Amino acid sequence: MNNEVKSKINSYLTFKLSSEYFAANVSKVLNILEMTKVTKVPKAPAYMKGVINLRGSVLPLVDTRIKFDMPETEYTTNTCILVLDIIINNESVHVGALVDSVQEVIELDDVNIQPPPTIGTRYRSDFIEGIAKVGEEFIMILNMDLIFSTDELNLLKESFVEGQEENVK
Amino acid sequence: MDNFRKKFIEEATEHISELEKALLELERDPENKEIVEKVFRIMHSLKGGGAMFGFEKISEFTHNLENVYDLVRNGQMHVSKDLLDATLASVDHLTNLLDDDKVTLQSTVDKHKELTNKIGEIIALRQAISVESIKKSKESTEVSPTAKSAKEDKSSTYYILFQPNETIFDNGTNPLYLLDEIYGLGSCMAIPHVTKIPDYSEIEPTRCYTYWEIFLATSNDVNSITDVFIFVEDECTIDIHKLSDTNLLSNKQFLDKLEELHKESKDIGINDLQAFVSKLVSSKTLKEKKAEERAVATSKENSISSIRVSSEKLDTLMNLVSELVTTQARLSLYAEKASNTELIAIAENVQKLSRQLRDIAFSIVLIPIENLLTRFQRLVRDLSQDLKKEASFIAEGTDTELDKTIIENLTDPLLHILRNSLDHGIEDPITRMKLGKPRHGTILLKAFYSGANVHIQISDDGAGIDQEKIRQKAISKGLITADATPSHKELMDLLFLPGFSTATNITDVSGRGVGMDVVRRKIADIRGEVEIESKVNQGTTITIKLPLTLSIIDGLLVKIKDTFYVLPLTSVDKIYAADHSKLVNTFNNLIVLDGQQIPFFYLRGEFDIEENKGKNEQIVVVRYEDKRIGLAVDTVIGEYQAVLKPLGKYYKNQEIISGATILGDGTIALVIDTNKAIKYFSLQFSQNVTPEDKK
Repeated sequence: MNNEVKSKINSYLTFKLSSEYFAANVSKVLNILEMTKVTKVPKAPAYMKGVINLRGSVLPLVDTRIKFDMPETEYTTNTCILVLDIIINNESVHVGALVDSVQEVIELDDVNIQPPPTIGTRYRSDFIEGIAKVGEEFIMILNMDLIFSTDELNLLKESFVEGQEENVK
Repeated sequence: MDNFRKKFIEEATEHISELEKALLELERDPENKEIVEKVFRIMHSLKGGGAMFGFEKISEFTHNLENVYDLVRNGQMHVSKDLLDATLASVDHLTNLLDDDKVTLQSTVDKHKELTNKIGEIIALRQAISVESIKKSKESTEVSPTAKSAKEDKSSTYYILFQPNETIFDNGTNPLYLLDEIYGLGSCMAIPHVTKIPDYSEIEPTRCYTYWEIFLATSNDVNSITDVFIFVEDECTIDIHKLSDTNLLSNKQFLDKLEELHKESKDIGINDLQAFVSKLVSSKTLKEKKAEERAVATSKENSISSIRVSSEKLDTLMNLVSELVTTQARLSLYAEKASNTELIAIAENVQKLSRQLRDIAFSIVLIPIENLLTRFQRLVRDLSQDLKKEASFIAEGTDTELDKTIIENLTDPLLHILRNSLDHGIEDPITRMKLGKPRHGTILLKAFYSGANVHIQISDDGAGIDQEKIRQKAISKGLITADATPSHKELMDLLFLPGFSTATNITDVSGRGVGMDVVRRKIADIRGEVEIESKVNQGTTITIKLPLTLSIIDGLLVKIKDTFYVLPLTSVDKIYAADHSKLVNTFNNLIVLDGQQIPFFYLRGEFDIEENKGKNEQIVVVRYEDKRIGLAVDTVIGEYQAVLKPLGKYYKNQEIISGATILGDGTIALVIDTNKAIKYFSLQFSQNVTPEDKK
């Protein structure tokens, strides 16, 4: 799917981290998995949960809560893994993201999405593409590509690229 | 049609690289007719193919080249450096001609003209010279019959018995003129026999008593010999035999034999000689064969019939085989659990088959390292010319095979190393002479198997690296303190740091210091290691250790807490049982096994996992450099064929784990790179321990 088509998709998958609602464009989400057995990799940073077996290939797993500076994910029956397709330098990389629960897929027209507030938010505004109000809840629409590739995850960015090279081989 | 063109391009590319290789061989051995033939043949196929698929430029261009090499082939021209330079440049040009986009470029068109002219010049020039040289060589023939022989490998050797009747003088025939004429045909040796000459008193001066046995090596056919005798046919006995298709007169053994025979009996005769010659020829071809086998660039694959398969298909095959191995592991596991004897038998069979299949599939993707080398030979040749140095590139063990992915990733690092060797290693001829070294520098590339690894060594006999220089540089960069006394190996390791170059002047070839760190990283990417050894004025040796294949390793499956790990079986030495109490709370991490003190690491501790409650644990002793080091694990499960999957290098900073593999039941096991792990642990150990010791 090329970027033009992707930008036209107005469906968003909403999920919860702790008590807050977030959303990701569905074009970024390849799969939603139930919690499965995680193999911890020794000597890795805390947000790198480990690896899981995704139908015969090895998928790295990120604890999204730690990334958002929340306490480590506690596993419940609702805990899910979002398999994300992250684009870095025009290359697609797959990564699993732990979330507390997956809510629903909603349609949001561009007019319903407001730009992120520049102040008064806990999160860096460039990580957030926009905010939508659905019912009583504010949902933060996340820029997945950026979150899984920048700044405090600078290390991630580097490994993404090289990991991709390896996949190509 | 496009499809065919594509095929042609593929083929032509191969031809061109073969051509390049052959030309480089020819440079080393300009007299070798076989190589000239090969060059000619490749050009011919290029020409034919080019014309057929509409690459007129190529066919026209190769036609010119072909003309030149036709002259060489016929011995009318010598392989000169000019010629080789022009031809090699043409080879590059041909590659451009293959590319549709480049054909129309002005630069390509200009180059085309330039090269075509140059080749034309060479032909014209050489023809003039060759006419002269042929004249000259003819003159010299009469003086020394063997002088010309070297050039006339094409010639055959004839035995001629020329026995004039006694009355031959009656017609005014002078047999010596006939001999002269024969001498004109090629290189020749005539042995006169005077046994029939009677006593002095009985001699009739008008009679001819002498007869000759003549050995003639000529490129002309037998008719031209009979032509010589055409007018005297009735007045003499002529017996012509072909002895051999080669020039025997340039063969020392043959000449010795002739002399011997000549001394023994009066007549040499044909029978003896024929037997001798056939023996000689067969022994010669045998010798040639051996020499060929020994020859550096002799390729094995020429004799192997092969088919062309797209590398995509191979990759798919490899993936499928990997999946099969994984699935087979699962089957074996299930069979054992189900404890059904028949199923177990089937599972074992499948295991055997998949193992064989795996081996075959892997051997398919293994390609000899030779494929890499042509490029290097060319590089060394061109670069040494540019740098005004004299160096030759010798490769040994070119049939050593490696995974094609490894080979692909090896090119850049090797190119870099070679460039370094030429630029900084090999000195210019004058300096070399002063140092008492041969003018000509040598770069030797040696590839060989060592266990489950392949070693590639590149050594030059150049200037070497001055340790002191490295030390100074390291101090000025603040890498080591002025009073530090690093070991030789540690100093050499500094060369792999980014931005570290001891070269004082930067050239466009190398010296910017972006080199060796990239080399090391690239080689680490294919799970290899690099080491440098160097002695001042004796040269530098760079050794690259590489794994045979990237995707499957034989491993030892172990368990720590609830995680499975795989240790590469190649590094595992022995497994011991160990008491828990001996592993924890030890002061110096040493354990006595088989009466030897062995340092060990308690992996639970290293991996920040709480201590094991159990009593018995196991120690896997692995080889690390030349030492034996123990790694304590909970339990050893057994041998396991691990299909390596990358960790996505999410865990790039995490060098201890080189990959993951999926077990039969779907669990992931992590593959430990024992070398890196131990290096890492010991670093941490020394950091933790030293401050305490000081207290």
